[in-house]
Amino acid sequence: MELAFGGAAGIAVLLAYGGLMLAVGLITYLRNRHIHESLDEYYLGGRGLGVMVLFFTFFATQYSGNTVIGYPPTAYRIGYQYLVSVPFFICIIAVYLFFAPRLYALGRRFSLLTPVDWIDMRFRSRAVTILASILMLYALGNYLLEQFVAIGQGVSGLTGGTIPYQVGVVFFIVIMVAYSWLGGMRSVAYTDTIQGIALLFGVFMLLLGSLIYFGGPGTAAEVMRREAPDKLGAPDAAGVAHWFSLIALVGIGAAVYPHAVQRIFSARSEATLKRSFIRMAFMPFATAAVVFFVGIIGIAAFPGLSTGESEQLVGRIANALATRHVVFYWAMVLLFGGVIAAIVSTADSVLLTFSSIVSNDLYGRFVDRDASEHRKIRVGKLVGLAAVVVLVIIAWYPPGTLYRIFVLKFELLIQAAPALILGLYWVRLNTRAVFAGMLAGTLLASAMTFADWTPLGVFSGLWGLLLNLAICVLGSLLLGVKRADEAHAVEVIGMR
Amino acid sequence: MRARKEPVRSPAVWIGFVVLMALITPWYFPAGSFEPLLWGVPYWAWIILAASLALSCFVAWVVCCQWDMGTDDDPEA
Repeated sequence: MELAFGGAAGIAVLLAYGGLMLAVGLITYLRNRHIHESLDEYYLGGRGLGVMVLFFTFFATQYSGNTVIGYPPTAYRIGYQYLVSVPFFICIIAVYLFFAPRLYALGRRFSLLTPVDWIDMRFRSRAVTILASILMLYALGNYLLEQFVAIGQGVSGLTGGTIPYQVGVVFFIVIMVAYSWLGGMRSVAYTDTIQGIALLFGVFMLLLGSLIYFGGPGTAAEVMRREAPDKLGAPDAAGVAHWFSLIALVGIGAAVYPHAVQRIFSARSEATLKRSFIRMAFMPFATAAVVFFVGIIGIAAFPGLSTGESEQLVGRIANALATRHVVFYWAMVLLFGGVIAAIVSTADSVLLTFSSIVSNDLYGRFVDRDASEHRKIRVGKLVGLAAVVVLVIIAWYPPGTLYRIFVLKFELLIQAAPALILGLYWVRLNTRAVFAGMLAGTLLASAMTFADWTPLGVFSGLWGLLLNLAICVLGSLLLGVKRADEAHAVEVIGMR
Repeated sequence: MRARKEPVRSPAVWIGFVVLMALITPWYFPAGSFEPLLWGVPYWAWIILAASLALSCFVAWVVCCQWDMGTDDDPEA
């Protein structure tokens, strides 16, 4: 994405933004110096996040810079069939309702820190805990990589190439690691709030400018009617299958995202969590729907772009708007600052959860059970940093388009869902069946992904989940459950 | 202590979500159809957006009225 107007203004916005984030981290650190002594304080903000901060930190887990940069090009290419992006974001919240109420209550009762913490307490199985940790770390790593690539592309685009891709990646990662280390979850949640507001403002201005200068959906409809009526038409059977499987995959996959689940534990109270969810249920109309229509308007504004060219659609629109009016010039500079802010805000949440799984679920459970919380936090930070370094090396030469990577991470993460959710309700769930299901689902989903095989238009992750669920349920029915395990499950769930 | 409410235990919640899932998936439109257009947006997209809004409202209702685990009343819970 090349923005001719970028240059100095872009650099100034990015520097100001970086300085602001560092200041937030520093102030949080000065006001909460004790946080590095407690896992709860560092990773969950002392379980005290209020409605607005909790809302924006949930917002950051779901909506990244990719929502702004990657979704309009997809809408541009496939037209109204990508309207699926609105309901699939609502479905994420709907899926939460099937496990968050109980998980929050259990999180309070047993001081749970991570989703793996719950799985370990429920199944008391080293194999299940380690496999779930690996799946989550893999998905988080993939997600983090995607954010790093997006940071580099965004920064280089905003500054018209003045700041090269690699410099952008390193600059923002250093800032992100610094404020995360200083203030833990509190810094992350506070910066998420600033970043969310910047993103919402930028997206609104992008739509407003597009409507003013390129005409509304009506102009786009005329172009589509003439040149590509299939972009206007309702989907056929294969399109419907694709639509439904995207809703199921994203709905379940994003809801069981480890950093999203961890936010459930961070809520100050049940009432706080509920109010944040209600706000989140309506956000797709202010974000996904808005960027979808930007993509549709782009069909009339920039007709005939190839797939590669369409990936730069938002940059082209922003560039065009910036030359029309000084208000839009600054709005577009802020938009790209907001986009990069949103990517960083998603990345920081992911990194913090990555570190918490290492601190609490792997190091604290299997390497050194007696380590102090201070030491566990330090190990989590350092392993997180090592992962960041590896991912930066991979991100140095970015892989394919963002959409492809996006689907890949859900394929595996979704395999932890049966253990996480079924385990909350079914006391006769057999631990060995859970492990076998998770492993088989992971292998099937991976093999199908590599073979690029999606029978009936349904994503490979869902086929893996189906096998996983079948093994969990049939295995539990056939093998039964030991009396002691059932008694433990009743004790742990405790509210049947 | 008042009765605990959990969305997953309410048949109305399950029925509501099944119906709304059916409505937000565009299986019930003739493939390729798009007319009439309203403000340049195909009729079926309006219906999907309306169904999506209904889903958001339903989620809000479930959160408000079907979720009360009593965690805030009971520090031990």
